[in-house]
Amino acid sequence: MAEHKRRKLAAIAFVVLAIAVAAVLTWTYSLGPGESTAFLTKIKKLAVFGSISGSVFALLALGFTLIYGVADVVNMSHGAFYMLGAYAFSVFLTYLGFHPLTNRSSFLLFAALILAAVFIGLVGVAVYRLLIHPIIEDTLSVLVVTIGVTLMLHQIMLLMFGDRNLPVRKLLEGTIKPFGVTLANHEVLSFVLSLSLIAILWIFIARSKIGGAMRAAAQDREVAMLMGINTERLYMLTMAISASLAAIAGVLLSPPAASPVLRDWTYPLVMSFAIVIVGGLGSIKGSLVGAFIIGFAEKAVPIFFPGGSFLKGAIALIVMVVVLILRPKGLFGKRVEAE
Amino acid sequence: MVGYFFRRIYLSFATKVFDVPSKLLAFLLFLLLLAIPATRPSSYILLILIISYIYAIFAASWDLLVGRAGLVSLGHALFFGIAAYTSAILSKFYGLPIWATIPLAMLFCALVAVLLGFPSLRVKGPYLTLVTMAFPLILHTSLFAFDPPIGGEYGIAGPPRFFPREFLMGTEFLAEYYLVLLVLFVSAIILYKIANSKTGIVFVSILDDESASKACGINVTKYKLLAFVISATFAGLAGGVYAHSFGALGSVSPGGVLGLTTSFYPVIMTIFGGIGTIYGPIVGAFTLWTLMEFFQFANELRVLIYVSIIVVFILKWPEGIAKFVVKKLDELTEKRELEEREKKK
Repeated sequence: MAEHKRRKLAAIAFVVLAIAVAAVLTWTYSLGPGESTAFLTKIKKLAVFGSISGSVFALLALGFTLIYGVADVVNMSHGAFYMLGAYAFSVFLTYLGFHPLTNRSSFLLFAALILAAVFIGLVGVAVYRLLIHPIIEDTLSVLVVTIGVTLMLHQIMLLMFGDRNLPVRKLLEGTIKPFGVTLANHEVLSFVLSLSLIAILWIFIARSKIGGAMRAAAQDREVAMLMGINTERLYMLTMAISASLAAIAGVLLSPPAASPVLRDWTYPLVMSFAIVIVGGLGSIKGSLVGAFIIGFAEKAVPIFFPGGSFLKGAIALIVMVVVLILRPKGLFGKRVEAE
Repeated sequence: MVGYFFRRIYLSFATKVFDVPSKLLAFLLFLLLLAIPATRPSSYILLILIISYIYAIFAASWDLLVGRAGLVSLGHALFFGIAAYTSAILSKFYGLPIWATIPLAMLFCALVAVLLGFPSLRVKGPYLTLVTMAFPLILHTSLFAFDPPIGGEYGIAGPPRFFPREFLMGTEFLAEYYLVLLVLFVSAIILYKIANSKTGIVFVSILDDESASKACGINVTKYKLLAFVISATFAGLAGGVYAHSFGALGSVSPGGVLGLTTSFYPVIMTIFGGIGTIYGPIVGAFTLWTLMEFFQFANELRVLIYVSIIVVFILKWPEGIAKFVVKKLDELTEKRELEEREKKK
């Protein structure tokens, strides 16, 4: 897209947003005093919770978009890595000697988080090297094999842990109350942690030599190989990063759930592909924007329509379908039609 | 006179089927399936075979869409589920006979395919894959908005069966087996004919090069929509049959007919059997479903073994087993013909 067109689009989006905010504000002041404060609390809640879940979703979707953008792999086992990450975290925590009553040092929690991320990264590398690499040219086979990996990991977890639900601990206990909204410290931490990880990754891709190689391979695989880039090793690294991001997102996102049912890979998978499609496949900027859109949309349903909570899962997909009908390549997608 | 006609039929059949080894193999397999009830299997085994045939229709319809027209959809469960629900609701709550509800369900599926096809066929490649995956999931959650007799987790309990129990006294599974086998046979032939007709060739040209087909004056959108509708109709047939055979024993539930795994089944079966062939998915569905039951003894490890076998097979024979066998057979016959020719010289 030409530069001026993009600017025009951004200007239109800004104007629409400004009008919407102004409309909401005027509407709020037209309400009675009690109603308006209730509405303002809802808005505050939406802003806080939406940005928190948006940031963790961004972390989750970034891995999905990264491996698609660099290696053209639609990785259906991304949700399984998320699930595996949460499992590995609680298992490592037990091995490190953590106990909720006697030994609850936060050092152990962070050590377990790092160990889980590294471990899942290695699992990702193994899956890529053994299963995806031999058939990487055939998109459909890759799709089926990654679905197979998901089902396999699901079964292995079922065999190892059965119906026992391991609790995933929060990284920090306690709550704080900024802007009159009660927030768990864990959620604040996950917001900060995901944003800083995304920033590190962004700088890594934009500035480092390996990041340059990734961008080159994303543009044209064969030419990148001709320039002396070892694409196999590059893809392995990308897969490792992608899998560890999914694992960290799993550790951050699992605890607030009412019951720690871990064996759920559908939700993260559906979320990550909805986000990635809203933003445009393979675009990092797009998946960040998409993550916040989906995060706000998902939190808006229970806050504004408490009766329609069954729609909570579908809202992300509905947003995705609407965006696709309006813009068939997502908001920032461009690389797919390269031919 | 009669003998002459039989001879004519036999001769045309012999030249068209018996001289082509792969078709002969398919014919023999069909005879084998016809003969299976002669071994007096339990109704449990018959039920497993019935389900495998239903999934064979389902997978073959997916293959027409993906293997021929190249529209990789991961949400084929949408049509399966819509048809199962439509047929179950119409027959259970409105009292319509089954022979009317299944065609109605198929018609409804075609309508839904047209409505959803327009927006979703605008997108391409992996976008299409993922957006189609969303539709059954949206429907899955929306079903929870309805009240229990239709919506909810358990869905519709016990829609009527094809052959009521009091009517056939214990042989209802056998009757159902032959009915479903007949449906599979007819729909497989129709799908195969479509796939190898002029329309099917146009589908393949779209798969090979969309812009080139457009340049040749082919209305790409029309043909894509056509593939989508045909495929949806046959998936609807599978869903309708499912509702009155397996679904009738338990219930037609959102998790059973609209879940992610239901969408994954035809993908796995088709890739395993051989994509783009129509007979591949049928072989794949039959093999995989019976294999799954064969591992019954390893109760806990069953799914793990099953999935590992699929993954290993796909890594080893990416073109699919049915395609592989047919290719080997063709090579063998070619070799034999060459040898015969050399002998004549």
